Amino acid sequence: MKLNTDMRVNRVTDEVWEIPVTEKAGMLVPARIYATPGILQTMDRGVFDQVTNVACLPGIARYALCMPDGHWGYGFPIGGVAAFDTRSGIISPGGVGYDVNCGMRLIRTDLTLEDVQPKLDRLMTELFRRVPAGVGAAGFIRLNRGSFEGVMTRGARWCIEEGYGWHRDLAHIEEGGCIAGADPSNVSDHAVGRGINQLGTLGSGNHYLEVQVVSNDRVFDPETATALGITGQDQIVVMVHCGSRGFGHQVASDYLKIFEKAMRRHGISVKDPQLACAPFRSPEGQDYFSAMNCAANTAFANRQVITHQIREAFAAVFGLSAEGLGMELVYDVAHNIAKVERYAEGDLLVHRKGSTRAFGPGSQDLPWDFQKTGQPVICGGSMETGSYLLVGTDRAVTETFGSTMHGSGRTMSRAQAKKAIRGEQLQQEMKQRGILVKAVSMSGLAEEAGFAYKNISDVVETVDRAGITKKVAELRPIGNIKG
Amino acid sequence: MHSYQFLDDIAVADLAFKAEGDSVEELFHAATEALLETLADPATVAMTWERRIEHVCGALDELLFEWLSDLVYWKDAAGVVFHEADLSVVQKGTTWTLAAVLRGAPVDQTTQILHNDVKGVTKHLYEVKQQGMRWYAQVVVDV
Repeated sequence: MKLNTDMRVNRVTDEVWEIPVTEKAGMLVPARIYATPGILQTMDRGVFDQVTNVACLPGIARYALCMPDGHWGYGFPIGGVAAFDTRSGIISPGGVGYDVNCGMRLIRTDLTLEDVQPKLDRLMTELFRRVPAGVGAAGFIRLNRGSFEGVMTRGARWCIEEGYGWHRDLAHIEEGGCIAGADPSNVSDHAVGRGINQLGTLGSGNHYLEVQVVSNDRVFDPETATALGITGQDQIVVMVHCGSRGFGHQVASDYLKIFEKAMRRHGISVKDPQLACAPFRSPEGQDYFSAMNCAANTAFANRQVITHQIREAFAAVFGLSAEGLGMELVYDVAHNIAKVERYAEGDLLVHRKGSTRAFGPGSQDLPWDFQKTGQPVICGGSMETGSYLLVGTDRAVTETFGSTMHGSGRTMSRAQAKKAIRGEQLQQEMKQRGILVKAVSMSGLAEEAGFAYKNISDVVETVDRAGITKKVAELRPIGNIKG
Repeated sequence: MHSYQFLDDIAVADLAFKAEGDSVEELFHAATEALLETLADPATVAMTWERRIEHVCGALDELLFEWLSDLVYWKDAAGVVFHEADLSVVQKGTTWTLAAVLRGAPVDQTTQILHNDVKGVTKHLYEVKQQGMRWYAQVVVDV
């Protein structure tokens, strides 16, 4: 099998591959990649280099992991999972990702394709108007420093208190939409300046708001689907993919600079400057953790405000209240974050970068209505090919620190995609296939063409067969908003 | 003389460019133009917003990094995109000083051709170097 690495990669199972510690000087644990042989062969060289670099970081437990949607990232690969002992290990912004708490949210409705199709154009126009997207877009909520600190510390709870959502939404957000230990005094004025006007905005790049349909033949586990509010029957759902916007990026950039100096003081050396880190228990490590939690809460709030706007748009178009339309939150889950969780080794700081938490049934971290199903996992594909709803498993908890994939993963650069197709042409072609796209930037749209991504179904099959997540339903796009 | 080109094979999920110039100042102009173009077509952006910026750094690569990061900051903090930047870069002893006037306008989706919302400048494969008489920089931006 021809791989994009000279390192030895041993087969553990058909979906798990291991790079032993002997393959790179300084590796403390083996690296494990979840992939079918086909996906493994398409993975770029960066995945192998970076996952083995991560395996060299102090305090790493068990394995450095990469999920099947893995590709090159800054420091850690996208799709990377690594857990560090909270006493002897490190924390690294490169292991969280610049867009702190970039994540996915899924909202169900009682509407069907038959209800929505005749009004789809109006609906997408209304959503495009109410949810700002693209370069420099500002949200409709005006905040001062004090109220923005409320967002940083209370996350989605702040939104509910301000009337942007329903109290019961909180139970269906990871950590109840509010992570404890967020301290705004550890956030720079620069980060506040970038974030204060961006609440309720999508951004650009691979972020989107998508109206999707769930047909009966694409529901793989009807019992679980029903428990999550998914009926199939050409049901309409709405997916949101975005994060903490410029605010989270500035937090990461600020602490990368601080950590570059701190590493010298703490005697840590890393294989890549983007792996800059600090001992988790050090003052710098704790400051970053609390600032990162501010950004994570801001991302939960961002998706909550967007949800409010989505509900308002649907209510305006269909002439019924959002509650009357059954617009309940299925789940909201982060895929760029670091969290302290308890495993067999003890308390570990689990970094998930382009990887989703996937706790199984019975987890005490899940609300009562997910106790039987396991935690919903939302994986976004390209805007042309569709997305998936899955659930976490006990096997994920024992094998992958309760983690799984997050999306399909790019295989083609943005520059190459733009050369292959023009945004206007792609928009037309998608319209002919029944997907209505509203985009701020036509060049940005071209960069997100489906052919630039791996086939998400192949990626989902891998995690399903590996048993670290189980498929529930496939979600097919009919309308997409991009920055 | 200065120029820039976007790179196809670096940073699959993001954007990368190479900038070059006959002098340090020309290099800064090239890198600035590349970043402005990444955000929006400068020809479609008016000049109703202006900001004076000055930076002093011991290292030239740090100076360029700080300057490009400033553009990203003002894009978000002021909600603007840019038409141009007048800039000078001067070396005094062991320090480099950049003085710039950045001009642009508030984001307007109806009149401007907008491109990517750059979230930050990264140090991945980042370099500033002189080869012969020419200066080069490679920059990867997170979008």
